[in-house]
Amino acid sequence: MTSVESGGDGGKWLDAHYDPVAGLYTFSSCVDLADLSGDGENRLVVGDLGTGSSGMKLKVYRGTALMSENTLLDLPAGLVAFFMDLHEPRIPTTAVASGPCIYLYKNLRPYFKFTLPSLEVNTLEQDVWQQAREGQIDPLTLKEMLESIRKKADVPLSVRSLRFLSLETDGLDEFVQLHKQQPIRRQTVITCIDTLKKSTADEDGVSCLVVGTESSDVFILDSKAFIILSKMSLPAPPTMMDVTGQFDVEFRITVACRNGNIYILRRESDKPKYCVELPSHPVGLVRVGKNVLVGCTDESLQGFTQKGKKLWKIVLPAPITTMAPMDLPTRGFQGVLVGLANCEVHLYRDKNLLSTIKTPDVVTSICFGRYGREDGTLIMTTKGGGLMVKILKRTVVFDDRDSAPGPPLAQSIRLNVPKKTKLYVDQTLRERESGVAMHRAFQMDLSRVRLAAAKAYVKALESSLTPMSASLSEPLKMNAVVQGLGPSFKLTLHVQNTAACRPVMNLAISFLYDENLYRIRDPYMRIPLLVPGLIYPVGTFVDCTNDKGITDIIKVFVLHEGRSSPLLTAHINMPVSEGLALS
Amino acid sequence: MADEEKPAELSASGEAKKRRAPKAPELPIVERRNWLIHQHYIRKDYETCKVIIKTQLQETNGMCEYAIYVQALILRLEGRIQESLELLQSCAILNPSSTDNLKQVARSLFLLGKHKAAIEVYHEAARLCDKDWEISHNLGVCFFFIKDFKNAEEHLNTALQINKHDKTFMMLGKVHLVAGETDKAIEVFKRAVEFSPENTDHLSTLGLLYLQLRKYQKAFEHLGNALTFDPNNYKAILAAGSMMQTHGDFDVAMNKYRVAACAVPESPPLWNNIGMCFFGKKKYVAAISCLKRANYLSPFDWKVLYNLGLVHLTMQQYASAFHFLSAAISLNPRMGELYMLLAVALTNLEDVENSTRAYEQAVNLDESNPLVNLNFAIFLYNHGDKTAALDQYQEMQRKVNILQDSSSNLEFDPELMDMAQKLGAALQVGESLQWTKPGKDSKSKPHSATLAKSPSAPLGTNQALGQAMSSAASYNKNIQLPAGVSKSLFAAPDPEAEVGNDPGLPADPPGSPQPAV
Repeated sequence: MTSVESGGDGGKWLDAHYDPVAGLYTFSSCVDLADLSGDGENRLVVGDLGTGSSGMKLKVYRGTALMSENTLLDLPAGLVAFFMDLHEPRIPTTAVASGPCIYLYKNLRPYFKFTLPSLEVNTLEQDVWQQAREGQIDPLTLKEMLESIRKKADVPLSVRSLRFLSLETDGLDEFVQLHKQQPIRRQTVITCIDTLKKSTADEDGVSCLVVGTESSDVFILDSKAFIILSKMSLPAPPTMMDVTGQFDVEFRITVACRNGNIYILRRESDKPKYCVELPSHPVGLVRVGKNVLVGCTDESLQGFTQKGKKLWKIVLPAPITTMAPMDLPTRGFQGVLVGLANCEVHLYRDKNLLSTIKTPDVVTSICFGRYGREDGTLIMTTKGGGLMVKILKRTVVFDDRDSAPGPPLAQSIRLNVPKKTKLYVDQTLRERESGVAMHRAFQMDLSRVRLAAAKAYVKALESSLTPMSASLSEPLKMNAVVQGLGPSFKLTLHVQNTAACRPVMNLAISFLYDENLYRIRDPYMRIPLLVPGLIYPVGTFVDCTNDKGITDIIKVFVLHEGRSSPLLTAHINMPVSEGLALS
Repeated sequence: MADEEKPAELSASGEAKKRRAPKAPELPIVERRNWLIHQHYIRKDYETCKVIIKTQLQETNGMCEYAIYVQALILRLEGRIQESLELLQSCAILNPSSTDNLKQVARSLFLLGKHKAAIEVYHEAARLCDKDWEISHNLGVCFFFIKDFKNAEEHLNTALQINKHDKTFMMLGKVHLVAGETDKAIEVFKRAVEFSPENTDHLSTLGLLYLQLRKYQKAFEHLGNALTFDPNNYKAILAAGSMMQTHGDFDVAMNKYRVAACAVPESPPLWNNIGMCFFGKKKYVAAISCLKRANYLSPFDWKVLYNLGLVHLTMQQYASAFHFLSAAISLNPRMGELYMLLAVALTNLEDVENSTRAYEQAVNLDESNPLVNLNFAIFLYNHGDKTAALDQYQEMQRKVNILQDSSSNLEFDPELMDMAQKLGAALQVGESLQWTKPGKDSKSKPHSATLAKSPSAPLGTNQALGQAMSSAASYNKNIQLPAGVSKSLFAAPDPEAEVGNDPGLPADPPGSPQPAV
């Protein structure tokens, strides 16, 4: 994780081709390399998802040019090139899995279409539709019955019934008329596809197709007669597969499922033999040698044995977008390429990072293999639709330098220790010399401050100078607001009774002020009965009679009738009057 | 079922035309884009995912369960938990028998803080499929949040029986820690480390727990392992660094701290420990800078204030030391050593009256540290109160004996022993009281030369006091160390250095294990 980046990918890969506007929208499962013409030159076959809803195409590249395009009817979920027979010349067939069908292309021409068997249809549903066809029940009853079937049935309803249930009342009849003559079918969708050698491990041996479906099944199809050789079921729909072995001898299918688990299927059983529960969803599944490497959404790459035992886990710097194996049999090299969301592709051998490739965009699919006549070619497509081809230099040596990582880089960064000034040092010296005096002065001042505070507090309490009254019979709170620019100000006093339940009566407000400076409209006001909790605004006007810009304090007293000492006092610092009084 | 027509003449487009021929149009399969939605969802490409979900729901009139399910998950990730919950509930209507839907409904309820409702839904899900690790784990987490630790423990253990996951170990450990069962927590983390030996969280948490229990050898082993697998692990760095500091390896500790300082530059315990490293290396100004930063970051941490007081005492800035120590005391008024340091500061500020009061308070609060009594005895002796000094001296001896009885090969700081001997001799000379049983510590050392000073001369100068004070802390650390480690302690170059990191040491365990609890 340390030294490799510094070298970057510059030394290891040659940039062969980059077309940022190739317009490819695809996944690693829809990219393959194969010698489609039998001339010893490998082509790149890509199942392009078009816009995601239309314009799906099967594209074949030769060198840097697009060689042919075939329109696809539905979204391609996976694409594999394989040998389906022993005919000479040895030309591989391309199988595109799309919806419930597998389309086979030979010599770049459509050749055969295989549809997966329909799923079991709910017998009750069938009966109900039968009755509808014979006119025994009207569409509304049909709807009710289907609704009740859906609630308790083990077998889900067909597309037709589901669509029927979602219709408004006025469209029901028409829908029944349109559809009632057709037999009810329930089809599933292929989610992933791979190949499995039939009986020999040869490079160009005949293969079977292995297909995972939305109905949580895995089918193995014979490629000659297109019959189902084997059917296995999983607890959840599969998303990715890795197949190894031969059908006739022994095989092992590692399937990542949509519930976040990985299941391992073997020849003898139609149920998963081992199960790996991952902490998060798998994004990539690649077999390297005997181990299975899984990239997860929690930004980790984990290694498992083929029995599902966890071997190791490394944390990656960014979320994984795709993974692909990198196999160089001529040099005995096996690794895994991991595309990351931070525009990098990492090459790992086991848990060691060997190389980092920086890409101009986030990579969405990776395919490594023989392209044209070059064995070590890396083909990547990007999120923006670009196509990138890189060639591994023949002189490159990958070494596991990272197995013993050095100290982290941060260790050599200097600590940011705050500096101290000369002044600080001087002060320190002064404190050393006269620490005792400083301490005594401090203690003395501290005592004085405390004394002064205590005195002021006592004084305030004694003369009710605070704007809070603590007396038990009349607990009051007051604050004052002065508004205006002058010479006329509005003075508003907010009085609140803070008692829990007792109202306060017979209160009055009066003011003390310099009569040379101010004139108050109502120098004496009676306060109405104060209900606890409510805030009562009491307002009057103050006129400043002086034009010299002098200000003074106005003291406000809240008084209880019949008592001479005020309940509370507020001092209002009057603002400077900015206008002249009109005499 | 396969269309077994002769393949060659059937092009894909021809096929399509033939299909459209009958009157009833082929209805698109509801699940046809599920795989695509999933592919985008796991790649965290939520924008594209939402577009596809929208098309899919339009096409199927909202009947596609998986599309709604993923939409709900995305909404939840975006923080719109309530909306997500509503969508998931509509999923549960479309397919009432799916445990996934129920699990996600429960998860949303959990995120909304409705733990009891979540527990009910999880129980319902558990009825549909027993032996699900996720359900048991999440039930455990829910019970943990409503503080029903017994049930939480039970469910988490069930989860572990079904399948072992790091998360579950972590949670179970936490439950034990919160319930105060450290031993059980250690057992859990031990199992966790066995299960996934490279999980740095488990390793560092286990290391910290051992550190709390003062099993330093084991703690260091686990922290070291954690650092091997993740050299940037902040928790492990801080804990391991403080242990290195304890042994006087200040440079190594500093190297580790530099890594942590990059990762977490605003950590108060980190700057506290760095400060005490500088202190150990006698770079006092840098030490004060770092400690002041720690204090700025965490103004109410008494340990930082304690260290600041200590450093200022060493710098002979007694007035400043007084302020830091009194601040520390107001935050933590129940620690004898703090009052002792305050008394030392006051002695140097020539405030005998307050100093005496501080010593008295220190002696009252302290239970096991003989240094408090020694310092008090020296103070009293210097001020001529030999009787009281002798009392304190005997109290010190008592504490020393207790400590020696409790752990056999305990070693005391040489300065402490030296000073105690001198004082003992002085008191013996002054008062002809029997000093029958010399402390065991004094036996271990060759008797120092006869006391040169006359008894009337002040025994401890300011400096001596300071040193005694410093050895206080190092002594304090000694008792924390098991035998095996304490050997290397004495190889440390200077005792002053250890003074500092002793308070530094406790500073980080409270800081770091918090995430684990």
